[in-house]
Amino acid sequence: MTVDPANTSLGRMLLEEISPVVMVLSTPLVEEDCLKNGLSFLQMLNPFSSFNNIDVPVRTASDQPYRLQKFKLRLYYASDVKQPNLEVGKKKLKEIVTEAGEKDLSELCSDAPQISNALVSSESGNPSSWFQCFNKQLVHMVSFSDHEAFDHPVACLLVASSKDEQPINRFVDLFNTNKLPSLLNDGAMDPKILKHYLLVHDNQDGPLDRATKLLAEMRSTFGSSDCQLLCINSSQNVQLKHQENPWAPYKSDASPSQHLGCFLNVDDISEIKDLMQDLSSKHIIPYMEQKIRVLNQQVSATRKGFRNQIKNLWWRKGKEDVVDSPTGSMYTFSSIESQIRVLGDCAFMLRDYELALSNYRLISTDYKLDKAWKRYAGVQEMIGLTYFLLDQSRKEAEYCLENAFNTYSKLGSSGQQNATRCGLWWIEMLKTRDQYKEAATVYFRVCGEDPLPSAVMLEQASYCYLLTKPSMLRKYGFHLVLAGDHYKKCDQIKHAIRTYRSAISVLKGTTWNHIKDHVHFHIGQWYASLEMYDVAVKHMLEVLACSHQSKTTQEFFLRDFLQIVQKTGKTFEVMKLQLPVINISSLKIIFEDNRTYASPSAASTRESLWRSLEEEMIPSFSTARTNWLELQSKLIPKKYRESNVCVAGEAVKVGIEFKNPLQIAISISGVSLICQLWQKTDEGTPDGNKSSEENDNDDNCEKLTTNIRDISSDDSLFILSEVDCSLGAGETITVQLTVTPRVEGTLQIVGVRWKLSGSVVGFHNFQSIYVKKNVVKGSRKAKLSPNDNLKFMVIKSIPRLHGSIQPLPEKVYAGTLQQLVLELRNQSEYPVKNLKMKVSHSRFLNIGNRENLTTQFPACLEKERDSGQSGALANSDMSHDVFLFPEDTLIQGKMPFLWPLWLRAAVPGYISLYISIYYEMGDISSVIRYRTLRLHYNLQVLPSLDVSFQISPSPLRLQQFLVRMDVVNRTSTESFQLHQLSSVGNQWEISLLQPPDSIFPLHSLKAGQGLSCFFMLKSCRKLSNSEDTISSISTPLASDVRLVPQGSGDSVYDITRSPLVDFHHCERLQQESSQQGDLNVIDFILISRMLKINADPGFCNAPHLISHHSCHCSVASAAPISWLVEGPGTLHHNFSSFCEVKLKMTIYNSSGATTFVRMKTFDSAGNVGRLTGVNAIQSATPGNQAGWHDVSLVNDIKVASNVPGTQLGKPLSLESVCPFIWSGPSSTNVQLEPKSSVEIPLQVCVFSPGTYDLSNYVLNWNLSPSNGRGNHEEGRQASGTCQGYPYYITLLQSA
Amino acid sequence: MATTACFIIVSRNDIPIYEAEVGSAAKREDAAQLHQFILHAALDIVQDLAWTTSAMYLKAIDRFNDLVVSVYVTAGHTRLMLLHDSRNDDGIKSFFQEVHELYIKILLNPLYLPGSRITSSHFDTKVRALARKYL
Repeated sequence: MTVDPANTSLGRMLLEEISPVVMVLSTPLVEEDCLKNGLSFLQMLNPFSSFNNIDVPVRTASDQPYRLQKFKLRLYYASDVKQPNLEVGKKKLKEIVTEAGEKDLSELCSDAPQISNALVSSESGNPSSWFQCFNKQLVHMVSFSDHEAFDHPVACLLVASSKDEQPINRFVDLFNTNKLPSLLNDGAMDPKILKHYLLVHDNQDGPLDRATKLLAEMRSTFGSSDCQLLCINSSQNVQLKHQENPWAPYKSDASPSQHLGCFLNVDDISEIKDLMQDLSSKHIIPYMEQKIRVLNQQVSATRKGFRNQIKNLWWRKGKEDVVDSPTGSMYTFSSIESQIRVLGDCAFMLRDYELALSNYRLISTDYKLDKAWKRYAGVQEMIGLTYFLLDQSRKEAEYCLENAFNTYSKLGSSGQQNATRCGLWWIEMLKTRDQYKEAATVYFRVCGEDPLPSAVMLEQASYCYLLTKPSMLRKYGFHLVLAGDHYKKCDQIKHAIRTYRSAISVLKGTTWNHIKDHVHFHIGQWYASLEMYDVAVKHMLEVLACSHQSKTTQEFFLRDFLQIVQKTGKTFEVMKLQLPVINISSLKIIFEDNRTYASPSAASTRESLWRSLEEEMIPSFSTARTNWLELQSKLIPKKYRESNVCVAGEAVKVGIEFKNPLQIAISISGVSLICQLWQKTDEGTPDGNKSSEENDNDDNCEKLTTNIRDISSDDSLFILSEVDCSLGAGETITVQLTVTPRVEGTLQIVGVRWKLSGSVVGFHNFQSIYVKKNVVKGSRKAKLSPNDNLKFMVIKSIPRLHGSIQPLPEKVYAGTLQQLVLELRNQSEYPVKNLKMKVSHSRFLNIGNRENLTTQFPACLEKERDSGQSGALANSDMSHDVFLFPEDTLIQGKMPFLWPLWLRAAVPGYISLYISIYYEMGDISSVIRYRTLRLHYNLQVLPSLDVSFQISPSPLRLQQFLVRMDVVNRTSTESFQLHQLSSVGNQWEISLLQPPDSIFPLHSLKAGQGLSCFFMLKSCRKLSNSEDTISSISTPLASDVRLVPQGSGDSVYDITRSPLVDFHHCERLQQESSQQGDLNVIDFILISRMLKINADPGFCNAPHLISHHSCHCSVASAAPISWLVEGPGTLHHNFSSFCEVKLKMTIYNSSGATTFVRMKTFDSAGNVGRLTGVNAIQSATPGNQAGWHDVSLVNDIKVASNVPGTQLGKPLSLESVCPFIWSGPSSTNVQLEPKSSVEIPLQVCVFSPGTYDLSNYVLNWNLSPSNGRGNHEEGRQASGTCQGYPYYITLLQSA
Repeated sequence: MATTACFIIVSRNDIPIYEAEVGSAAKREDAAQLHQFILHAALDIVQDLAWTTSAMYLKAIDRFNDLVVSVYVTAGHTRLMLLHDSRNDDGIKSFFQEVHELYIKILLNPLYLPGSRITSSHFDTKVRALARKYL
């Protein structure tokens, strides 16, 4: 880059700030004359003190002259030539900032600025124009310090008026040492400076004569060249208006009505110009040249050359311990150090930078050695600037400035202002070289404790970050925020807002939530403090959903927000209110076309479930699939098929989730939908022309809602529901909203509105932020656009059934049988007909007969003694079919229609019952010809009794079985009374083994109690052979056992009556096993009752029974055969010879197949033995029957275990000759037809008295494979072996 | 243990996905946003520096008054940023390395969508334990 350093902004700045100072001393009369023009004398001269093209030849130390082009004189009154007061300076700074803030006010209301705009404007330097002012002021705050020489006046302009008496004396008085600045008096600078005398003459006061006379006098006194005359106010009585007022830029606070320089005509101005030019070129510059040459000679004499350097070093060393205070006035103007500095500054001001640099460097080391840090820093600063202007050694320049800055900073508060100035120059230099990032860090370092300058510095730093390539936007934002905070500290709210607003442009949409909250919240607060509430609220809205903040912060935010809203005094309407959060994906719309719902839960059930349930009932789709296209198009006009249909007068329900993200509770009120309804006016083209009343189709929601609020009075086209609710911390609730159209037309749901804390109204438009709608039905409408999904065709009112089931409990115990009533109502005047019903779980819910309504439950189930078999056995296959109500059923008017239902809680668990009722419109023509009412109920079934049955063949009789029933009460509180046990089927007869009193001493089963009881089960069929035909199970006859004592008055329930038998049928189907048709199975029904009525509201107190169905209990054992050994139990014999005992074995084939059985006996000693041996003889005394009892006990156990033969007689230790032998055929083969029995004679020979176990035989059985039943028997073995079970025979010695 | 330390993981899209104040000093209400501001602004520096070196640990890259920002950039350009006032360079480096391992384990979770917020409480406790150990 070949930019002339002098033309850069820093160069221009230096030219302005480091230039010769002319001290002006004027008399009061001079000022008086000048004030006529609204100017002071100084101000009058100021515009003409800088020269762009002065073109003066200059020769300094070197012999080569050069020409100065630009030149400037700084004019100061003598009273101002002093270190400025810090407080005054600060006040000025504040004024500048405040003024700038006022200017920006208009912008505050506009939208946030864009980054690109900020970039452009900061590049052009436009918004920071007041920054330059501010920076200049900062620089001026350290002028006229004693450690620098460039602020020391080089000349003195003494001005007297021609009206002054004795002007000569006045001149002398003016340069009175008492009044002179301290700089000249305390020896910091040479008091002998160039003096120039000026006589001012006001032409309005009269002719020039006296003035010229005085001038001559002056010239004779002070020397001819140093005196001049200036005539002003030549314009007589005419106020001149200068086209380009040269004073305007210098006097910014002038009021516009005042015409600056109104009495100065062109001649005056040119005279002033000439005066200044003359002063500069003929006096000041030559004087400075002269001074440089003189000083240079001195310096050369004392300091240049090898000898002087050595001497200096030596001398310095000696001085080291003397000098401690660097600020002391040890360097008077006459000291060589001061002279070098003056020489350097003069050379600098006359642009002889080489000379200046060499002198600065010379003095720098001296000051450093002297530890005169302030002076050292000042010199370093100048070296840096000189390097910059020489445009060489950039590093060195930076280093020097940094060094100066650091040194100043180390000085503490005294160096602070200097450090700031040095920093500013450093920054300017960096900026010139496009090192914006470094400049920004310097800005940051310049910040002191004072908030105001810091704020301005930080803001400038932020712009530097913006100007870096690439832009560091985050740094920009951060520093703007910092600046804003500092502005806030010194009450510059407008500036604070301005910086924050700029920051928002960067931080907009940030995911750094603390940053976002901080910025928006503070800017909102500040706007509120400026009483710009609208904007404030807009910003505060952004921070409302601050779930990440602590609870106190959230409360703080919300409270402030509400306060601001209150101050506005109106209810705000906000499009994007974030509180509470709306879960748009939860949007659920329930409308009823030909599907109506009895409860919300029914509506939320999957459509496919209903469809499968209703498939058989609904005529349109399922019946004629071949031409469904045709049918459907006939059924509903095309238009209606494409859009959702709802019925006038019936509510469209919308469910939507509101979530409170905060940890504090919020209240929302007046939640309602925003809807539009276009009324249908013409029957023929309902879509064509919409009613103009609400024909406001644009998306201007604000306008729309006001519109809707107006018309939501009584005669509006639709009715909206309103919901108030309070959301706890972090709570999510689903709000159910409804809109009920009242006329035909097109209904559109637009959105939802609510009021937060009674002051802010929020809107949410469903369509604009549409994500995914969860419309319950209409999967076939998926291709429609979202708008259409929220749009409904409203058709005219048609009948609608309301239905409920009474009294359906929420909780029941398993097995509970209860009567329910289905109640249907039709509010409309038109009747409905052709009712059909379908139930999803026929195992749980059974449809009764009309007669059931009048009968008393459970009394109706009681068995009537006399009547034999009531033909109540009803529709056993009905469960899977559609139930058709009687043809003549018409539901109309206010009369409810009742129909009985039976509930039986079949299994424990949660059950959802779905019931769908189909009906057709009566006398009304509509696009909808039929409707379905869908009911859904949830039922919790608790476990009650666990009932299990075990059946084992009785060892005493064939075709008799012992049944053990184990009942356990699974509840924790309830007691049950077991009422009866019934076996289903006419071939079985059941009886108790013990009277009920002995089993149930308490008549009830307490909570957690379990018990077992035994029954005898007898087959009523002929035992003999299989010739009787297997009767079908069509009419199961029951055999019942009362489990309650006889006297309790309850009669036995007839299990063949309607609900019981139907449910039993369902249970049979449910518990179906492979043994279908097997005659060896039996079903049991245990009927019990709950003793005390539960107080739990979930339970229903209606009369009930509890029935447990246990189906397909098989009486068959593992083997298809059973046998029985019969013979005498006890025999007396004299044992003279062996005793021969005859036995009989009956084998029964319980299987359905022909079985071959081989019976084998064997006499092996290992397996068989005398049980008690010799002891038996001794115990055979008649009184001792203990042994016999023992044996019978064994017998019992065997029966219970149901596995005959598995436990063989223990091998006896007594290895002796077998005391008995089988004497019949050792092996017998028989063939058994199904369900038949055969007898085999057996014989044993016993040799001695004793008790013998005749179990040493084996039955091998083999099923005939030829039978077609084979597939049913897969689970079974085809053949097997059964060990004989013990049969005890006791032989006693007869007397 | 550092008196002030704010650890933050910034996804490649400059979205903070994990934040933790791990300093021992009592938590101040306004500290959270100041820390966020500093770290957020430091991203500008990271952006420049990350491509000048092959090392993942960028050392202290930025400072604000007496708070220093140290950054560790993973291969996927996820930035682990620590704002601290202690001068324990080795500890910070180890801290970053171990947290990086934890972060990789989070990434290996098939249910974790890269770039989404890390909500694992296990991760949180581990990070805090590491902070106690190294910082």
